[in-house]
Amino acid sequence: MASRLIKIAHGAEAILFKTMFLGYDAVVKIREEKPYRHPVYDRSFRLRRTITEAKVVSQLKMLGLNVPALFFIDLSNYMLVMEYINGSKLSDIIQSLSEDYVEELASKLGIQAAIMHKNKIYHGDFTLANIIISKGEPYIIDFGLSGYSTDIEEYAIDIHLLMRSIEALAPEKAEVFMTSFWRGYCNILGKEFCRSIKERVSEIRLRGRYIEESLRRKIRHERYM
Amino acid sequence: MKTTILGIESTSHTFGIGVAALIDNKPAILANIISRYVPEKGGIHPREASQHHITEAPKVLKKALETAGISINDVDGIAVALGPGLGPCLRVGATLARFLASYYDKPLIPVNHAVAHIEIGKMMFNLSDPLVVYVSGGNTMIVIQKKKRYRVLGETLDVAIGNLIDTFVREIGLAPPYIIKGKHVLDVCAEWGSNFIELPYTVKGNDLSFSGLLTATLRIAKNISKDDRNAIGDLCLSFRETAYNMLVEVSERALALTHKKSVLLVGGVAASKYLDRKFKIMTSIHNASYYVVPPEYAGDNGAMIAWTGLLLYLHKRFIEPINAIVKQRWRLDEVVLPWLPD
Repeated sequence: MASRLIKIAHGAEAILFKTMFLGYDAVVKIREEKPYRHPVYDRSFRLRRTITEAKVVSQLKMLGLNVPALFFIDLSNYMLVMEYINGSKLSDIIQSLSEDYVEELASKLGIQAAIMHKNKIYHGDFTLANIIISKGEPYIIDFGLSGYSTDIEEYAIDIHLLMRSIEALAPEKAEVFMTSFWRGYCNILGKEFCRSIKERVSEIRLRGRYIEESLRRKIRHERYM
Repeated sequence: MKTTILGIESTSHTFGIGVAALIDNKPAILANIISRYVPEKGGIHPREASQHHITEAPKVLKKALETAGISINDVDGIAVALGPGLGPCLRVGATLARFLASYYDKPLIPVNHAVAHIEIGKMMFNLSDPLVVYVSGGNTMIVIQKKKRYRVLGETLDVAIGNLIDTFVREIGLAPPYIIKGKHVLDVCAEWGSNFIELPYTVKGNDLSFSGLLTATLRIAKNISKDDRNAIGDLCLSFRETAYNMLVEVSERALALTHKKSVLLVGGVAASKYLDRKFKIMTSIHNASYYVVPPEYAGDNGAMIAWTGLLLYLHKRFIEPINAIVKQRWRLDEVVLPWLPD
């Protein structure tokens, strides 16, 4: 059924292999044992995250989002087989992209994220490393930390993580990227919802340590205006 | 050629003075004297800590100069940690630094405390571009360098890990003192336990949140009798396991994201050998080399301020004493550092 396995990545929590599955290019994702974790803990973690990822990724695919299709699931081995997305991680290529192209991608990503959040799903690890650019389209991958929630806090954390990731990896493109991202995002979710998410994002940022008190006060003040 | 800098640390519970030198382009720490404020009950009281610092400052200064075998006139500059930290404590160091700089006519060098924790580690192991995990009473951060600054890749959204651990042991009645014979009381307590209880685990990408863990663990602790050592031990063990796993996981995520070749653990909590063991295993899985700053330089100290001050001195980053105002919330990523690559 499956052909030869070629190891393509060793991520933070899983090993990825490339293979053919029923004639399609596929990725085999196996959540490995982490020897630094307590074994009881380790097993429950891997199981829970494998199930969540399978559930979320298949639901998003059915909604028509750019995510890999789920082909096969084997819980006893904490394993998923998914469609292989041929492209580059945004984190690897962001620095070489033109400003116009960054704008276009970010706005498309904003639309994808908005549809995900509209369906009460948060990603939980929404960074540039979990976005693959394939034929000019952004694909969201790696749903191990995702979940279902109606709390806007979770959606805002997704955007906060994205923002932080671009600021750390390509600070000079951060502003252009986020402006276009918000444009796409707000187009789908509407002005009012968008504003409450934006407010929550800036609130989350202020929870970080040692934000200048004057800035904190300014934002607090604005909230009551 | 010899350049010598005196560094003053007083951001929190530690008053420290160190002397760092560059002798024919080789770095050297000539002195590292500290005096730590230990509360009799509760946590750090900023005013009492600052009074401790005021009393100790002259003694520590004298001893540091003696150990380094120099007089204050031999020093090329005075470095001081102006933040982040507790206001009353910071002011003690700042006052001393302003006085020394004006009276002896030496350049005054403002140092960010968090930058200093990182720079001392980089110097000790001769690292140029590590993934830095900074863990202390007031900080929990994953940091990389990019475009002349340290950038925060992940951090705690609420409590810092050192604060989390100290609050927990205090609330269940095991501390203060927090450290007994070089061992944190959490580690002592964890030895009584053997079973693992699942506790809230909150990782958001590279960020983490400890407040849920603290609340839930304290709630369970309320229903345990103080004499039931096994049950308390199980809780300590599980609490430590959960908190450390969260930290190691976000570090692992950052490592997989950045493909750095080395990981450097800095800050006061870096002294924990359980955390050390987990980091060793995690980094070996990813073929990254791993370094942990030795306790003398991992906890707050003056040597790290002196060494960072020396780097700044070489780039002439001075301020006038009148402008040397403390900054309680001086973030790591605000500081532009000329020696970091573009």
